[in-house]
Amino acid sequence: MGAPRADLLAVHVASLQHVAAPGAAFTAAQRLRIASVACDAYLTMDPSPPWVRPFGEAALDVAYRLGRHAGTITQQWYEQIITEGMHPLEWVEVVGIVVATVPVVAFARAAGLPLPVLPPPAPGAPHGRVADELAPATLNWVPVAAPPDTTASVVQALSAVPDEWDNLWQLAAAQYMSDAQMVDPLWNRGTLSRPQMELAAGRISRIRECFF
Amino acid sequence: MLSWSSTEAGATADLAAIAEGAGDGGLPFGAELVAFADAVGGLDDEVLVFARERLRAAAGEAFLIDAAAVLANFEMMTRVADGTGARFPAETAAHRAALDDRLDIGRFTSAR
Repeated sequence: MGAPRADLLAVHVASLQHVAAPGAAFTAAQRLRIASVACDAYLTMDPSPPWVRPFGEAALDVAYRLGRHAGTITQQWYEQIITEGMHPLEWVEVVGIVVATVPVVAFARAAGLPLPVLPPPAPGAPHGRVADELAPATLNWVPVAAPPDTTASVVQALSAVPDEWDNLWQLAAAQYMSDAQMVDPLWNRGTLSRPQMELAAGRISRIRECFF
Repeated sequence: MLSWSSTEAGATADLAAIAEGAGDGGLPFGAELVAFADAVGGLDDEVLVFARERLRAAAGEAFLIDAAAVLANFEMMTRVADGTGARFPAETAAHRAALDDRLDIGRFTSAR
């Protein structure tokens, strides 16, 4: 087994370190627990059904469902969780933590590498850093950085919590391609052609039943 | 992420390979790529080992690594979309209709 690209390895290490640092609303220890639940959900051979909330704790239940049954999450369920008391920006942070962790595990499993170990928690309190101005969106359930709906819904999705947004797009640039590279339809890494990349991307999206 | 990934880059992959996992999409190593994606999306580690080695033997180590990275990226982006209720603007619906039908997207819980 050869070593992954250095840039890919570095961004995966950085992503797990990001998870292990205090976030906007959660401590590092809380974030690591959320990440651990999502990883376990992704890897388990015996998952709970989508409608079961295995933990009775909103952040962990959201992480579990997103880790394993993401395509079953509905707006109704989102609103139920928010009505129960989870702040919408906490929901966004949970999504950010899950998507900071699951692809690192998914890559290692796919490539036949040892599964990553989560780092120890960094000290400190949640930093509370969110977008300067928030707005409801028509293209997402979650609030986004103002002005809303001026970019694609997946682009604005985590914009309310800038640290999660930054980590997401650093991962995307190394795993797939950056925005600048996407503009050039001929750009590739010299391995997969663009149609081959789209075939792989489209097939896994179909398997996950993600309509977007 | 299904239709977005197939159209955003202007390089549309064959839809039968995406929708049914059948064939090679008309692409070099396409059958091996589809089998690898199916194995990554599944839970059987033996199937994954077989698919990984088949792709490695056909396309090489660097290709395998980058294919794994692309799949990991869409394990990520599907969760971003599904976790935040991402949807398309209404004005793009007409462009998507035929594609949605072909990919049988309408039955997905995530179709909203």
